[in-house]
Amino acid sequence: MIFDYVYSIVSRFVFSPLSYIISFIIIAILAVIVTAFIPVFIGWVDRKYSARIQSRYGPVYVGPFGLLQNFADLTKMLGKRFIATNIDVLAFNFTPIVVATSSFAMLLLLPLGAPGLEFISIPYSLLFVYTLLAISPLLLLVAGWGENNKYALIGGFRGAAQIISYELALIIVLSSVALLSGSYSIPAIVAGQSSIWYGLYLPVTLLIFIISGLAIIEREPFDVPEASQELQAGWKVEYSGIRYGFFLIGDYVRVTVIAMLVTYLFLGGWLGPVLPGVLWFIIKAAIVLMIILTPRWIFGRPRIDQLIKFGWNWLLPLAILNLILVELFVVL
Amino acid sequence: MEHKDRIRMNIGPVHPAMHGVLKLILDVEGDTVVKAEPEIGFLHRASEKIAEMRYFSNYYPIMDKLDYVSALNMEILYASTVEKAAGITISERATYMRTIMAEIQRIMSHLIFIGSLGEDFGNLTSFIWALRERELLMTIVEKISGGRLAPMYMCNGGMFYDFPEGIDKDILEALDKIENKVKHEYSAVFTKNQIFLSRTKGIGIMTKDMIKRYGITGPIARASGINRDLRKVSPYLAYDKVDFDVPVEENGDTYSRFIVRLNEILESIKIIRQCLKQLPAGNYKTAVPWIIRIPKKDTFVKQESSRGEMGIFLVTDGSDKPYRLKLRSPTFFAIRALEELLVNVKVADAFVIVASIDPVMGEVDR
Repeated sequence: MIFDYVYSIVSRFVFSPLSYIISFIIIAILAVIVTAFIPVFIGWVDRKYSARIQSRYGPVYVGPFGLLQNFADLTKMLGKRFIATNIDVLAFNFTPIVVATSSFAMLLLLPLGAPGLEFISIPYSLLFVYTLLAISPLLLLVAGWGENNKYALIGGFRGAAQIISYELALIIVLSSVALLSGSYSIPAIVAGQSSIWYGLYLPVTLLIFIISGLAIIEREPFDVPEASQELQAGWKVEYSGIRYGFFLIGDYVRVTVIAMLVTYLFLGGWLGPVLPGVLWFIIKAAIVLMIILTPRWIFGRPRIDQLIKFGWNWLLPLAILNLILVELFVVL
Repeated sequence: MEHKDRIRMNIGPVHPAMHGVLKLILDVEGDTVVKAEPEIGFLHRASEKIAEMRYFSNYYPIMDKLDYVSALNMEILYASTVEKAAGITISERATYMRTIMAEIQRIMSHLIFIGSLGEDFGNLTSFIWALRERELLMTIVEKISGGRLAPMYMCNGGMFYDFPEGIDKDILEALDKIENKVKHEYSAVFTKNQIFLSRTKGIGIMTKDMIKRYGITGPIARASGINRDLRKVSPYLAYDKVDFDVPVEENGDTYSRFIVRLNEILESIKIIRQCLKQLPAGNYKTAVPWIIRIPKKDTFVKQESSRGEMGIFLVTDGSDKPYRLKLRSPTFFAIRALEELLVNVKVADAFVIVASIDPVMGEVDR
């Protein structure tokens, strides 16, 4: 755990109660840097990658290779005027804050590439991450209601319907992995894969996890709730300025979290020969991330009823069947 | 009558997914459209009235701005009308050049259609790919005429300029590239993409009866199994001297309308290649004075534009300006059908159906 490490260093120089506070502040600053850096960098990767697919250049001007473009955008968002009128102020402001904090909390709960390299370590980290992912229907409904806009309301309803249909499949898949490894803590799950990656003998589970994960974070092609064509921006339509910036950051954090979870649960996390664990983790997570980012630029958006039908008719039964098979495997 | 769970959505004229300034008033229950009302007229610029105040040679810029996605087709149509009324014959080279320009413009217009159809169900890549291919032809139009969107290339009696040296090589090169992309690369985003198929197959079905009731022509009618193309039925320009097929689909759904246009691109490529091979030497322009007087008579000319049968009814009274000019624009009729098409579809499908009609409001509102 990072805190213990920092505390052990700080306490060599400072008195006991004071050192506790100082190391706490250092951790907080570190957490802010990490959580700010990751979404901005992933956002840059996404923009460059999509530009390559679409024969464009992508960001070029701000910083080397346009690396600082997203910082420039966020700074611009800070200066935007607040224009929404006739809104439910409490509901309106509640959503961006919760989206941002819950996304950052997910990032702090996951180990960053090596056992113990997490900001908050609890034995049920996987369940807690899932809980943070699963509060989004509530958020969408609250935001859609608070904006006092027809597009937002329809977007909110669509979002809630979509996420509820895919949540069940996700938690069942998570449980089957937990069942296999006998633990909900990520280091234990990774340790369980020392002989063979779960992804290799549970390929269907891996697929279900990626699909339902993308659906829950509303990454295209599952962006039906925010459908920029028919609903303009769905439940985000009235948001502007830094409130919208929070959503953008939150989106990229969630994409990163899904990529990290795939790596931990199915691809053996930091396990690998020769190279150090962190490097293995980064390589695997980067590959998974690229695979997750691709569908947005190839596929269109399915209709909401097709999406929900797919969730209930195919994904959920498949996930349940999968759970039963894993259970049989474990019992036998 | 107020329904409790019914939401009225005003979509357009400034909705990001609307084509031009079309406004749709949708009554929505849940996610299903129960009543749709297209509203037009936001781009009305009195184009027909302007014609009555201009010399015959000075109306070309206004024609450019009617169907601005296929401006050259509009120009050729107007030139043909004036030439027919005034009894001007154009050289054979000019007919071939006009055919080439018309087909280049048709490809560009259909590429825009393909891109915006993909974009309307959330696939931005298709739009940018289509624009990339269109840019190849855009560069050629720019080389030939000097303009891009509104080229202003036609004039009474032919064209303003001849083709520049070596343009046929450029055109063939661009066509090869586009043919390759359309045949091979587009299958990933369109014809073999399951989400695209599920979003377009069986959606927005137009029956033959409907097509006839509304007077719809062009690719939309051909997608519903009506084999009628003015280039075949009553050939004009050089269309009777080239060999091409008219793509026809039977289903009448959004997918058929897409496939018809995709195949039309390939047919247009075929036509341009033949025209370039047959392109005779000679004058590109018959000398015609700038101000001409046309004796009293009625003239009607219709041609197959990218969106269907576009016609001009020209009434002249012996002066140097038209007495009356009436435009018959194809999408004007197609937009009326939306009222019937959009009932009982999902909101998301409504946009794809509108995109499959491929309206250009400049031509609808005139």
